[in-house]
Amino acid sequence: MVAETTFAPPTDRGAQAWRLHVVLWVLVLLVSLFSLSIGAAGAQVRAGLMAWIANDKLDAATRLILFDIRVPRLVLGLLVGAALAVSGGMMQGLFRNPLADPGLVGVGAGAGLGAITAIIIGATLPPFLINALGNYMIPLAAFFGGWGSTLILYRVSTRNGRTSVATMLLAGIALAALAGAVSGILVYMADDRQLRDLTFWGLGSLAGATWIKVLTAGPLIAVAILSAPFMARGLNGLSLGEATAVHMGVPLERLKTGAILTVACATGAAVAVSGGIGFVGIVVPHLLRLATGPDHRTLLPNAALLGAILLVLADCISRTIIAPAELPIGIVTAVLGAPVFLWILLRRRGVVDL
Amino acid sequence: MSVIGTDISVSIGRKPILHGVDFAAEPGEVHAIVGPNGSGKTTLLRALTGDIFANGRITLSDRSFDRKRPWEMASIRGVLPQVTVLSFPFTVIEVVRMGLEAGPHGASPEIAHQALRDVGLEGYEGRFFQELSGGEQQRAQLARVLSQVWEPVQDGAPCWLFLDEPVASLDIGHQLGVMELARRYADRGGGVIAVMHDLNLTAMFADQVTLLSKGEVAATGEVANVLTDDLLSAAYACTLRVNMAPSAGKTFLLPQTAARS
Repeated sequence: MVAETTFAPPTDRGAQAWRLHVVLWVLVLLVSLFSLSIGAAGAQVRAGLMAWIANDKLDAATRLILFDIRVPRLVLGLLVGAALAVSGGMMQGLFRNPLADPGLVGVGAGAGLGAITAIIIGATLPPFLINALGNYMIPLAAFFGGWGSTLILYRVSTRNGRTSVATMLLAGIALAALAGAVSGILVYMADDRQLRDLTFWGLGSLAGATWIKVLTAGPLIAVAILSAPFMARGLNGLSLGEATAVHMGVPLERLKTGAILTVACATGAAVAVSGGIGFVGIVVPHLLRLATGPDHRTLLPNAALLGAILLVLADCISRTIIAPAELPIGIVTAVLGAPVFLWILLRRRGVVDL
Repeated sequence: MSVIGTDISVSIGRKPILHGVDFAAEPGEVHAIVGPNGSGKTTLLRALTGDIFANGRITLSDRSFDRKRPWEMASIRGVLPQVTVLSFPFTVIEVVRMGLEAGPHGASPEIAHQALRDVGLEGYEGRFFQELSGGEQQRAQLARVLSQVWEPVQDGAPCWLFLDEPVASLDIGHQLGVMELARRYADRGGGVIAVMHDLNLTAMFADQVTLLSKGEVAATGEVANVLTDDLLSAAYACTLRVNMAPSAGKTFLLPQTAARS
């Protein structure tokens, strides 16, 4: 338990965290403006944006690009980034493991199974149903898959009103393997075009963001993010163990149920509209714990903001780096996130249980 | 206003640990639970704190013991486990503040610092809990528990400390310091229930002792009536002699003769 480097953190990391909160809000605004001003349509939209900020009229084309393409994409990016980061932070608190991730409890696998089912079986549905669901068939299926698998998992790992976190982790691994196997069978049945769809969904993207997608996922994600702070004190107590949390007045079972549902909601909705975007849920809470400590009362709100910032930035990269084509955002977050994650582990491996 | 357990039976898996244990502790007293390894000391404490399911009836200050309102329990009872594994890099003061904010004194941040001074960890506020030694971690946890139920009597009702081997990993100086804290808490009207390994410290600081053996109460009562040659020899399965000095010339050391500065 000897640390390689001993350093004294300031005794009041809470005040520091709230200062960071203000800074993050400013960054959200700046990043949003930046995101709206760049893209395939280039300079004329930037000029239009400036004009609009200066309270001038916009021409029809600029208005279309701005309010029907870029703004919904920006809002979706903010929502998805916040949802992934907050559910990562909550899951890590619930499992008392800084490497836990919503993917571990089967939300990712379940959502994946839902999406794959929709892509492959969906084509055989009656035409009126396909028309009615349209582009939302895959996101909806992913959402229900993720949510349903978490609920099943919760039932499996709960006995007499008590959830065993160890059982739940192991059951999550089993369920993920099962979902993976069923997905594998479906992939085996897929034709070439479906395989291409599957690959792109799995890589994750914010392309095709619409107001309808924003309105589908937004309320769920908003409810999850807004309810997270109410569980923060309980998650702090849980870091001392389940029994000690109860002795410190934490309503343990209610906390666990709330955290699981919140995470399932946020991750399911996020994965549904954006596919498999990795590393946000693990890297963002880690960076914040390094900066201002593990207190969930500040960690969760700050994670929402930093997650939103990072995902919108990643999206900016994804749609400009090989413009006019787009790189799936999941690739960007993995390329940026994985080395940062490794760097964090290497630099701070002296401090146990980061 | 006491902690009463009647006919407590606990099985872990199929193995019965406690059979029909009766237990009663009064506020204003330090009540020690002693006994050999595996006699059910910690199990009894965990049954009394509601950590594990127990058959029988357990009440705290006439309130039936359940987990439905843990925040109410937290305001009148602090529990110190044997070992605490912390899963995130909180600092010492952050851990102690968690306890403070779980109790009724959350608006008085100076209590956290005073509690750290009381357990001899002044100046450790900004250190990472996980970087402390085992004994320091245990004292930091005690500071957390003390901050949670800082006033031994709150709104006219006694508060309680449940301590599971509070001095097991401490050196003799800190053992005395921690036991004196427990003693003062009881003297000021609070109740203290402690699982103890050290019979000398038990004899020094406890008012009441419950001696467990094989999951049953071998004896309970005042120190002089429980810590006797016959009862201890039977419970610990070796011949023990109370109040007998070793033969001349052999070195021995008793906490009773320590002088605390």
